Amino acid sequence: MIAERVRTYFENRLPRSDTWTLGQGNIYILPTRAGWAYAVTLMVMLLASINYQLNLGYGLTFLLCGAGLIAMQQTHGNLRRLTLRVKSPQPVFAGERALLEVVVSNPSKERNGIGVAVYRTGHKGIAWLDVPTQGSSSARLAFLPQQRGLHPLPTLMAESNFPLGLFRAWTVWRPAGQALVYPRPEQPAQALPAAQPVPGGAQVAQVRSGGEFDGVRAYRRGDPMRQVVWKKVAKSGEMVSRDTSSSASRELWLEYQQAALPDVEARLSRLAAWVLNAERVGAAFGLRLPGLQLDCGSGEPQRRAALEALALWQGP
Amino acid sequence: MARTLGVTDPTPAAGPPRSPPVAAGPPPSPPTAAGSLRSQWARLPREARDTLFQLAVIGWIILPHLTHLPWWCGALTTVVLFWRGYLAVINGALPGRWTVIGLLVIATGLTLWTERTLLGKGAGVTLLVVLMGLKTLELRGRRDALVVFFLGFFLVLTHCLYSQSLLTALGMGLSTWGLLTGQVLASMPVGRPTLRRAGTIAARSALLGLPLMVLLFMLFPRFGPLWGLPQDGLGHTGLSGSLRLGGVAEVANDDSVAFRVRFSGPPPRSDTLYFRGPVLSQFDGLEWRQRPHPVGMPRLPPELRLSGEGLPYELLLEPVRLPLLPLLEATPDLAGSAPQVKGWPLRLNEDLQWQTEQLVTDRLRVQAQAWTRFELGPQELLSGGYELTRLPSGTNPRSLAWARALRAEPRHANANARVLATALMQHIRSTGFSYTLAPGGYGRESIDEFWFDRKQGFCEHFAASFVVMMRAMGVPARIVTGYQGAERPDADGWMIVRQSHAHAWAEYWMPGTGWQRADPTAAVAPDRVNSGRSLAPRPGLMAGALTTMSPALAEQLRRTWELLDNRWNQWVMNYSRSRQFDLLESLGVSAPSWQDLAVTLISLLSAVALAGAGWAWWDRRRQDPWQRLHRHIREALRALGLDALPHHAPHTLAQQVRAGIGPAGDGLAEALEALDRHRYGPANRRLPGPAWWRGFEREANRLRRRGIGARQPG
Repeated sequence: MIAERVRTYFENRLPRSDTWTLGQGNIYILPTRAGWAYAVTLMVMLLASINYQLNLGYGLTFLLCGAGLIAMQQTHGNLRRLTLRVKSPQPVFAGERALLEVVVSNPSKERNGIGVAVYRTGHKGIAWLDVPTQGSSSARLAFLPQQRGLHPLPTLMAESNFPLGLFRAWTVWRPAGQALVYPRPEQPAQALPAAQPVPGGAQVAQVRSGGEFDGVRAYRRGDPMRQVVWKKVAKSGEMVSRDTSSSASRELWLEYQQAALPDVEARLSRLAAWVLNAERVGAAFGLRLPGLQLDCGSGEPQRRAALEALALWQGP
Repeated sequence: MARTLGVTDPTPAAGPPRSPPVAAGPPPSPPTAAGSLRSQWARLPREARDTLFQLAVIGWIILPHLTHLPWWCGALTTVVLFWRGYLAVINGALPGRWTVIGLLVIATGLTLWTERTLLGKGAGVTLLVVLMGLKTLELRGRRDALVVFFLGFFLVLTHCLYSQSLLTALGMGLSTWGLLTGQVLASMPVGRPTLRRAGTIAARSALLGLPLMVLLFMLFPRFGPLWGLPQDGLGHTGLSGSLRLGGVAEVANDDSVAFRVRFSGPPPRSDTLYFRGPVLSQFDGLEWRQRPHPVGMPRLPPELRLSGEGLPYELLLEPVRLPLLPLLEATPDLAGSAPQVKGWPLRLNEDLQWQTEQLVTDRLRVQAQAWTRFELGPQELLSGGYELTRLPSGTNPRSLAWARALRAEPRHANANARVLATALMQHIRSTGFSYTLAPGGYGRESIDEFWFDRKQGFCEHFAASFVVMMRAMGVPARIVTGYQGAERPDADGWMIVRQSHAHAWAEYWMPGTGWQRADPTAAVAPDRVNSGRSLAPRPGLMAGALTTMSPALAEQLRRTWELLDNRWNQWVMNYSRSRQFDLLESLGVSAPSWQDLAVTLISLLSAVALAGAGWAWWDRRRQDPWQRLHRHIREALRALGLDALPHHAPHTLAQQVRAGIGPAGDGLAEALEALDRHRYGPANRRLPGPAWWRGFEREANRLRRRGIGARQPG
């Protein structure tokens, strides 16, 4: 408990930075359990050599002692002068795995057995990589953001016990980037609220709860793939798209008040599910949150804007 | 986690096409055995390959032990290793915990049965080998691999208990390399690193550690054993300090080196080379022992009368584990001839033995001087003479009766001891005694049995019988054990004395002259004494074949090897506390002690650590070589009035040069473009050599001297 607090304290003291170049100042090194066992083995071997007066035994013991100390240098040197960078992850929904790409670049000789992980995920979360001479390798690390919002990237850790596994050298890095986390979409999704006719617009197409539209038109370059009516394409062999322009005369407003749930986060979840659904069916939709209004729009940009708004909304 | 089965592909992917059955031509030749093995090896999953490698290393470590382990242990371990290898290849499931425990219990029982104990060297090594074998059946996780790693080092160490020769050292080096390589493989989790690569990395760690090893080896203070001396350490070689018929024959089969001797002059005749070991005067009917020094009696020096010239010699003694030095007869306690070994107080006792205060467990280098012509012992009155004629009553009655009859013969009525001895020698020479290495076992009445029935024996049989007969005739006599003879000198003049040169002879006392040496073995096997030829043990298979084919070459090889081995012994194995002190003295420390050694070692290690810290400090300030080069370029360009920035790539800088300086800067711009191609081109990403920088600098300096700079804007 106290150790945990101390660890958190020191973790929070670390500066956040875009890149992390490893050197004397930020590499820690301690013997592993195997290293301690090795030391004990050497002590016993030394005792045996003394007691049996074995000069060859002394030789063997000291050889291993030298190799162990050199291995300490090599383990440290295996991390030294590497540079870590991280690519900010794509936005994800809360509770989904966010993938963080860590790039390890190496200005000198080949490095083996470099493990990178999200700090404090235990042995399972380590991704091992070799970094070629004057090259770089990358590993993708997963972490599970639990809450919506703009989160700082999790603290990362890089370690190595190469070559003999007697010492573990590691570094702890707080990358400077941020990860955007959308609210977790409600499961199962609720039906979309009814669309309102645009004042003064003609009612041409109907949005049904199933999300089917009546109108189709010929495929135009730039239509999103999900707008293509694949069933008809398969039958006729011609590319046809859903005619969403017809729905422009109706506006779908996703409102905070409509998501009638007691909990704020649950409401946002429902709204997120609606945004996904509305975008899937190609409807033009707007979003109204207390203190925030996103005008009607459709397609991927609208979806992203809506989800971002939901992710960052700070409450009524 | 569930194991995946069937990773190995049973059908060769790229094998030759099967010929149709109707084809009349010769069937396609199968791939060569070596080739298919190699391809199978390459196709093995990495885990299986690593396991097989580890098993091979373990096999190699255990191999030398097979000669002195009980047969069942070797058989069990071999079976277990092959079984484990098979499981690795087919990727089968490992046996359950209870199988392993059952095997362990059986092996422990067998150890108890064959070794009669679970402690001590033999049983310990047996159990260690068994444990190592069984542990391979549990090689599941990384922790198990570590256990094998550490057990492996213990097993490697146990080889030194049996031999510390150069060959053993080489074998141990290879074992260590193998174990380290396995460990390196375990810390390279990505991909499938080749064994050669892992081996190189392991060798690099070990070789870089070599200076540290040499430092520690030379300066780590050598202590005596910390607690009770292990009786079975190396005790099976050398003389034992007691004699039981059969005991010396065992030693004589041992071809290892007991010591080496070098004379500054020409070596003396072989039949004068008697190296004196324990003197055995007490006989209980079965066993001969040394006479304990009577309590309260003053320790007297021996009475020695020397004649002729002294022979200076040097002796390199292996750890004989006796409380004495087997020196050449007779090495007197005179200034300039007495042996001196630093840290070892020596004392010459009444029986002409050079005694040490503790067992000789070190390799020692002794310089002394000997007189091969000498007389030993009191001339007039022998104190304790009664002891030396005593025989246990009731044993060997026929021999006693025979000896008394010989003494009672009229021609021996006034015979002195020498005449009686000659008569005994004559008897031995003429009545069909023969000399053999394998006389077989003797019972309780061993002297009777030897003298009358079997007449086959070895030096100890002859010496013991001779002494018994002399005593039965009332002459004080005793057995002397030691070494007799030596091999021919090698290139450095060293003569090897092997354990097979171990010998036993007799001494009898005669008023007027003292103790006389009598070697009854010489009466039946003069070769043994005159040429100093040791008893040749059966050669090994290879050595045997070589000796048959080319005896000269075999001899040459053997001698070269002996020479190497001797140097190894002198410089490495013979390295002892006295040599450490010599080293310190040569470094200018007067009267060194082990504290001085410790201080020297610690200060050297501290110096190394400080140097390491200094290097780390320097390294911290070291820049990436590319950045450093870029900085130099920027400085040179700024001197020409160009605004070079850290993020500018060389081709950007080249454009700046062309724009700012114009045609005069073409050379500089081209150099920068060459650098850009070099750095970012597809062929090579490394830095250019120093030649590039020299060219660039020359060009920049030329421009500056000519006062050509960037056109100042405005």
